[in-house]
Amino acid sequence: MSRSVGRFVILLAFTLGIGSNTSFADTPIVELRIRNHLFFPDTLEVPAHTKIKLLVINEDPTPEEFESYELNREKVILGHRKTVIFIGPLPPGEYPFFGEFYPKTAQGKIVVTAQQPSE
Amino acid sequence: MFLIAAILAVLTLFNFVAALQGYSSSLKEANKLFDQHLRQTAELIARLYAGHPIKPLDDESTLAYQVWQGQKLLASFGIEQTRPITDFYPGFGYANFDGYRWRTLVYYDQNHRNWIITAERTDLRYRLAESVISHAILPILLSIPLAGLLIWLIISHGLKPLRMLSQQLKNKQADDLSPVVLPELKSELQQVNQSINALMSRLEVALNREKHFTADAAHELRTPISALKIQLHNLEEDISPDNEAFQQLRAGVDRIQHLVEQLLSLYRSTPEQLAHNFCRINLHQLAQDVIAELHTKFETKQQIAELAGQACMIEGDPFALTTLLQNLLNNASKYTPPGGHILVTVSTEGHLVYLKVEDSGPGIAPEDYDKIFKRFQRLNNKPDGSTTPGCGLGMTIVRNIADLHRARIEIERSRFESGTAFIIIFTRTED
Amino acid sequence: MFLNSVVLILQEILEAALLISILLVLSRQLQLSARWFATGMILGGIGAFILSFNLATISEWLDYAGQEILIATIMLAVLGLLTLIGLYSTLPPSSSRHALPYLMSICVALALSREGAEIVIYLGGILNHQASIQPTFTGAGIGAGIGLSAGVLLYFGLLSLPVSWIFCTCIVLLALIGGTMASQATLLLTQVDWITYSPVLWDSSIWLPEDSIPGHLLYALIGYEATPSLFQAIAYGLGFLLVSISATLGHLNHFRSRRTNTGDK
Repeated sequence: MSRSVGRFVILLAFTLGIGSNTSFADTPIVELRIRNHLFFPDTLEVPAHTKIKLLVINEDPTPEEFESYELNREKVILGHRKTVIFIGPLPPGEYPFFGEFYPKTAQGKIVVTAQQPSE
Repeated sequence: MFLIAAILAVLTLFNFVAALQGYSSSLKEANKLFDQHLRQTAELIARLYAGHPIKPLDDESTLAYQVWQGQKLLASFGIEQTRPITDFYPGFGYANFDGYRWRTLVYYDQNHRNWIITAERTDLRYRLAESVISHAILPILLSIPLAGLLIWLIISHGLKPLRMLSQQLKNKQADDLSPVVLPELKSELQQVNQSINALMSRLEVALNREKHFTADAAHELRTPISALKIQLHNLEEDISPDNEAFQQLRAGVDRIQHLVEQLLSLYRSTPEQLAHNFCRINLHQLAQDVIAELHTKFETKQQIAELAGQACMIEGDPFALTTLLQNLLNNASKYTPPGGHILVTVSTEGHLVYLKVEDSGPGIAPEDYDKIFKRFQRLNNKPDGSTTPGCGLGMTIVRNIADLHRARIEIERSRFESGTAFIIIFTRTED
Repeated sequence: MFLNSVVLILQEILEAALLISILLVLSRQLQLSARWFATGMILGGIGAFILSFNLATISEWLDYAGQEILIATIMLAVLGLLTLIGLYSTLPPSSSRHALPYLMSICVALALSREGAEIVIYLGGILNHQASIQPTFTGAGIGAGIGLSAGVLLYFGLLSLPVSWIFCTCIVLLALIGGTMASQATLLLTQVDWITYSPVLWDSSIWLPEDSIPGHLLYALIGYEATPSLFQAIAYGLGFLLVSISATLGHLNHFRSRRTNTGDK
């Protein structure tokens, strides 16, 4: 309910007819875990030109910030919490990401491949 | 304040950016060093490894390794995992295993056809490098407040004479043209100080000359004018008194005499001339005396002059205050048509004493209020265009005397149908 | 940990310091008392702690979109306040200038709450890592030092401009910050899929990477983005126009009222 109200506000604000038109079920969910300031897995393979729902689970007690300059994403995930970040659709290529709070160890990348991932 | 803040900001900015640069290049060097270490270890293992597992080198080592022959793990140290920790592809890289992130080196030993993978935990590696470098950076960080304190001391010491100079100039009275004296001046400021003092003394000389010239000229003119008056008196007996030219001549001489008297009282009403012989005065009584003195004047124009209010004591110079009242009342009489009203009120309110002189003349437009205090300024609103003697110095004298008594002058409309009210506001002395 | 904390703290402090510097210069030009500044700082500090302690809960609202929605709302509120500041500071002094200090202190408080919350969360997390405390806080000191110095220099730099330029420059800089707010809010809403994806306009990450010091500086000053999306660019333009047009309107109004004033005489 509040979501559609929010969307209505955004529609009004930008008068461009922007709003999500992909329904929730279509979006593939990819899981990313943070443990001991490391990303598991550290390489995520996703299909090209598809919107991805990234579920980030922080198993550490400390907060972490998922950040990627290439993806233009930045989000704080507090200790023992999880969150959702939408990514894409992206052209094929490599998109590094890192944990801004512990960037020496928390490093990873998203590999966008043209074909469907092998699994 | 501006100087200190700006200098500190620049200092901090450049120092810290330089420290950052130093840090990142040191870190790069340290990384190279660690990588070299990794490679040497791999080569050492390759050379030592003779076909059977070797014992761990030392327990304290941050290094770990695996030796592989084909798909067979020949030896391992510091790694729980029994799969290859990274791809068999020679060179440096990063890998996550055993819950840590590692810097890895894959080395192929041609002689024994072995793959040697050495690895080092990145967190330990950076911690080591960082603790070394950040100890070098910390003093820079701590030095900034210290530098700030020193810069502040130096600048405020350096600017002290300038501050003293500006303080002295600020504290000076408007009419105080005595030289500024500053102890032990730096050479640049010495020049400024000398110039200011030279300017002051020139100004003082010029001002004095102007003042004395006016007063001296007025004084010198008194004698010939008195002579003229005597001659006029003698002449009056010889010609008929209603000769028009004679009447004009007499009016002209009267005007000159008035001007000269006013010039003299203007000179006497300047602060330097009035010896500060202040005493307690009953303003109401004084006003009554002056009105009585000017009685004939009001009589001739058939004006009604009244005094209201009660006795009020103020601290003041009796001579100057008499001059002030004379000027205000003369002015009121002059600008009020025959048969008009003049009302003097003396009242108190709190610690203030109000002297209000109201007339029923034509009044003054509010935009002209400032003009009337200028010397030789006369407003062209005489009711009958008559040639009443007047020179435009009266209000200047009034203001000078009011200033001397730290009194404020306000002008507003009078209570009559038309006309002006001059209000002089004094501070009351305690009874 | 050291370099990392420098970058993180620098980013947050720089953004806040530049906004505060510009507002301080503007209020000095308009001869307002700077008391709003202290109020804004104190409210912002309190706001940062409140926000950081509740962010975990907020994040889980609205299908994990709470954090973005809240921060985007704060950013749009700052944009709104900048628009009002632009309007009121160009109107004739008598009409609504007394409202300006309130607007400025709310603006600073909101900006500081947002930036400060991230610092509190970051440094709070570090306190659990005994070994990282010293390098992290050294880095935080350096980052804060650079950010504050840049703010102080911008303040004096603006004041040393020719007097007739100062006001205009302040308004343009505020409009740029307004653009940044709109663009960042768009980005955050895209991140939680409230605004749909739009193509990337250009990629200047080779020329001027966002994670370089000039990149951070430009990001804080004009909202530089190496790979902006179409909607972000549009939002940026709209934000910029909103602030600058409101300032122009106020200015025109000022002129008109001044002309009628002289006409009356």
